[in-house]
Amino acid sequence: MDVHDLTAAYALDALGPDEAQAYQEHLGQCEQCRAQLAELNETAATLAFGAVAPPPPPRLRESILAAAAAERSNVVPLRRRNWAPRALILVAAAAACVAVGFTVAALRPGGTTRVTAALVLAADRTATLQVTGLAHAPTQKTYEAWIIPPGGKARPAGLFAGGTAGSSLKLSGKLPPHAVVAVTIEPAGGDSVATTAPVVVART
Amino acid sequence: MRVMSRQLTHLSDEALVLMAARSEESALAELYDRYGRAAYGLALRVLRDPALAEDAVQEAFLAVWRSAARFVPEKSKASTWILTLVHRRAVDTVRREQRRRADTLERAPEPTVGGVDEDAWLRLQRERVQEALRALPDTQREALELAYYGGFSQSELAERLGQPLGTIKSRMFAGLSSLRALLGETGTEVSWTSTI
Repeated sequence: MDVHDLTAAYALDALGPDEAQAYQEHLGQCEQCRAQLAELNETAATLAFGAVAPPPPPRLRESILAAAAAERSNVVPLRRRNWAPRALILVAAAAACVAVGFTVAALRPGGTTRVTAALVLAADRTATLQVTGLAHAPTQKTYEAWIIPPGGKARPAGLFAGGTAGSSLKLSGKLPPHAVVAVTIEPAGGDSVATTAPVVVART
Repeated sequence: MRVMSRQLTHLSDEALVLMAARSEESALAELYDRYGRAAYGLALRVLRDPALAEDAVQEAFLAVWRSAARFVPEKSKASTWILTLVHRRAVDTVRREQRRRADTLERAPEPTVGGVDEDAWLRLQRERVQEALRALPDTQREALELAYYGGFSQSELAERLGQPLGTIKSRMFAGLSSLRALLGETGTEVSWTSTI
């Protein structure tokens, strides 16, 4: 058995205990497998989002945080200084989002024009949505952008008219990490709750 | 002084793990708010038992809490790390419990129509993953679903599907590689069936 072949199975947690141990030992010496595993692990973890389930009971959150707090008081008796790590965190946060600016368009079928959307994300996490290929909004209607944060509800982020020249909209509010930006068609003046399916979805 | 949770929503996952490594409970809470629901959905899919799923998620998040200082952002995304911990716990449990997992051969249940509590972000992620899975050849999708959601080992899969182990390995590898390409594709056209 060639141990190189076990990368996908390991990423899926589909190895028996002995195989997993043999593969872990191999990983220590194989740069190629480490690189491939990092990629496949990321893809495998994405499968978690494919599961359909009801939300967890609220007590789970409380229980985890209570257990974490109890461990902290046992494990970390000293109060640490705050300033240095805080600075590090700010650097980390900034590094994570500097000048990212990305893509992704999805569209509702119903025309031959291809819709493309791009999100230009500034270091302070404000963002501009640029859309091309979207027809002018119908009479009495407008396009409305929404920011959808992980674990949160869609919140209104601005209105635009569309049209062949393309549209650029500075989104109101900052874009949290992993947030999705969606565009729907709403009654003129916009709405506080999205009432139609998205015509464009953009991710950073 | 603790950072207020309002500010935490703008921090990256990796920054939150860094804070958790410094025993900032609010950072763990924010990570849970981002990934707790996906984690529970995954654990429940694998374990098919709410109590066991809660235990698996709790153990995984406490593992995040304890080992946050050893997290290496260059090696993986924080979300990958967290969900991998959840999956490993769930698979360990399902194998230990020797539960009969015959029902995992069935198709995944259809998504419930969005209720008031439906999380739009999670739904969009789910539709994207399910769309990509549907684009795979049946044999590859089956291997991925049984391994990842069913918790079957490759040897169990080979036996169950009556295929040589080598075939199972290639299906898992090809399936995961194709899925990676599909999910990484930008500008993909998607037909939307839901509202946000």
